[in-house]
Amino acid sequence: MTKNKGITRRQFLGGLAVTSASLTLGSTGLVEAETKRYAKLHDSTKCIGCKRCMSACKRWNKLKIDRAEELTDRETDLTGNTWVVVNLTRDVNNREVLYYLHWACQHCGEPACRGACPVKAISKLPEGPVVIDEKKCIGCRYCYQSCPYKIPRFDLEKRITRKCTMCFNRIESHIDPACVAACPVIALEFGLKDEILKKARERTEAIGGYLLGEYEAGGTDFLTILPAKPEELGLVIAPKKVVNEDLDKIRISGYGFLTAAVITGLMYIYSRTDKGE
Amino acid sequence: MHEITQTGNTKSPAYYIWISSLIAIIVLAGYALVMSFLIDMEIFEFSLKIIWAMAVSNYVFFVVSSTGLCMVSSLGHVFGMKRYELIGKRGVFLAIITIIFGMTSIGLHLGHPERAMIYNVLTPNIRSAIWWMGTLYTFYIVFIMIEFWFLTRAELAEIASNSTGIKQKVYNLLTLEKLLEKVGFIPSVEKDHKLAQIVGALALISGLSAHNTLGGVFGQTEARAYWYGAYYPAYFLLSAGFCGYAWVVGATIITYKIKGEEISRKLRDLIFEMAKIFALLLSVGLLFTTYKLTSGLFDPVKAKSIMLLIKGPFSFPFYLFEVAIGTVLPIFILLYSTRKENIAGVLTASIMVLVGVFVMRYDFVVVAQVYPLFNPMGKDALEIIPSFFPTLMEIFVIAGIIAGCLLVYTLGVKYLPLKEESH
Repeated sequence: MTKNKGITRRQFLGGLAVTSASLTLGSTGLVEAETKRYAKLHDSTKCIGCKRCMSACKRWNKLKIDRAEELTDRETDLTGNTWVVVNLTRDVNNREVLYYLHWACQHCGEPACRGACPVKAISKLPEGPVVIDEKKCIGCRYCYQSCPYKIPRFDLEKRITRKCTMCFNRIESHIDPACVAACPVIALEFGLKDEILKKARERTEAIGGYLLGEYEAGGTDFLTILPAKPEELGLVIAPKKVVNEDLDKIRISGYGFLTAAVITGLMYIYSRTDKGE
Repeated sequence: MHEITQTGNTKSPAYYIWISSLIAIIVLAGYALVMSFLIDMEIFEFSLKIIWAMAVSNYVFFVVSSTGLCMVSSLGHVFGMKRYELIGKRGVFLAIITIIFGMTSIGLHLGHPERAMIYNVLTPNIRSAIWWMGTLYTFYIVFIMIEFWFLTRAELAEIASNSTGIKQKVYNLLTLEKLLEKVGFIPSVEKDHKLAQIVGALALISGLSAHNTLGGVFGQTEARAYWYGAYYPAYFLLSAGFCGYAWVVGATIITYKIKGEEISRKLRDLIFEMAKIFALLLSVGLLFTTYKLTSGLFDPVKAKSIMLLIKGPFSFPFYLFEVAIGTVLPIFILLYSTRKENIAGVLTASIMVLVGVFVMRYDFVVVAQVYPLFNPMGKDALEIIPSFFPTLMEIFVIAGIIAGCLLVYTLGVKYLPLKEESH
């Protein structure tokens, strides 16, 4: 129903809040903040697997060449020095269906890694990118463990975790991220989140595919159009909710404190057996 | 009591062989560490895919032991059980060295431990379980050290007054006599006892809370199905109980055996009483493990990790170390030895539990990381990772940490008043 209207309840409420706020404050600051949210879109049905995005990423971010990359067209994995990978992926049910998947940080709306970092080295910028402060990272790798997509990888030489920054330093200068700028077939697109989301939804509907990142992990700022539903492609994806919510953390700790209280109680009861001595 | 420095076989060649082999292992670990700094950390990590490995599992092992030791020893000094005061000082001393070597283990795992100390204070993230764990354990270390000082102060002063030269100066320094004089605090045995109880209670509270958040570090990671849930915070607290008993019983018996001293009737009775509770805790642990396996099989994502233990590359260590050596056999040995009053049986069981738990921690840390939630490769993780066995360099470093812990314990037995009857 919301689809037909072209606006979700959340967007409507958000818009209402922004409008009323700007009316009362009489400034456009809030409006700007709302409209400056960016997103990256990958259409896996358009991707030709040339891996120019990978090399552009390496060049712009000055990343080292990994050993695995010395062989061309070999399946690669994300590392501390490879923030983007493009892999030929097969539909597990229909092995003849092949497509290229451009895989990098999903830039979650509510990133689990941010809540996990003990020293607040990870932040979500208002423009959308989730970035790691490399001067602050202590190298505990808890962000990697809490990320539903195992994105932040440990750089063994720098001893910190590193990942895609959505080229936030380029966004500041109004330039597309390096990977998007390098794509020869417009399989990667970049723009304001609202516009990108609208475009992605239309395209997904047209090809009968699936839009990854619309709801996964609470909605992400990197969207991927898949040729079919993830289950049909044999992919296990993040749940359609915010991962590692604070209330959930409190719930789990609560059970632990309950256990600690029970143990202390049992110790007290046991200690009463000593009274006669 | 100060004759502890002279009694026993501490002057025998076996003692020097023991000390020098421990130092040799530490040197080997030092070599591995220096190489990891000179080349890069890659030689230390066995796989890029499993990034929390032996250093983390060893940390968990030591820290669980420390909390358990704090719990067992607090039965005497905090809860006022007279008979448990016999093992109080040894327990607290072991709790201190296990937490310190556990922290060393995690410090070596961190990319930048120096930043951890700075930014933990400057920019704390109270949403992070690791922050809570680090902070609470810092409090715990401080409290447990103060507790140990109160427990041993009077005896340290006595050793100082009975010795001469440098030895006297060192022991006098340990009693903080001059500092206390300046503050105007006049120590007495009664005051020590009272303050040890208060600080011990604080140590217990901070230890249990810190331990809960250690369970939370794993339990809160929704992205790792095998760890996720309230199970691990609870199980960690339980396993702290049996690890604490294993350490204290094992260390007490082995120290008496090696020094060739007779175990008093009172201590003997206590050891068998502890052995019974130890067996009980192990049985509850077995129930927990059964619950983990059966409930996990109903969750499709968790079941994949559980199957690695039941019928996969981890089944051998799981059945042999976690189930047989770590739980089932020790229960029977403990029950049999308490009935027959066999000290050697209790010692065997406690060593078996420690070995079993050590392997179990490794499995626990690694198993959860085999399957990512999302697998864009469409490939099975088992195909990518050839072996889950740690690298040689990693083993060197961990062996060095264990050797360091044993070396400090040996020196502690030699120079500190840990003896049971001396209280």
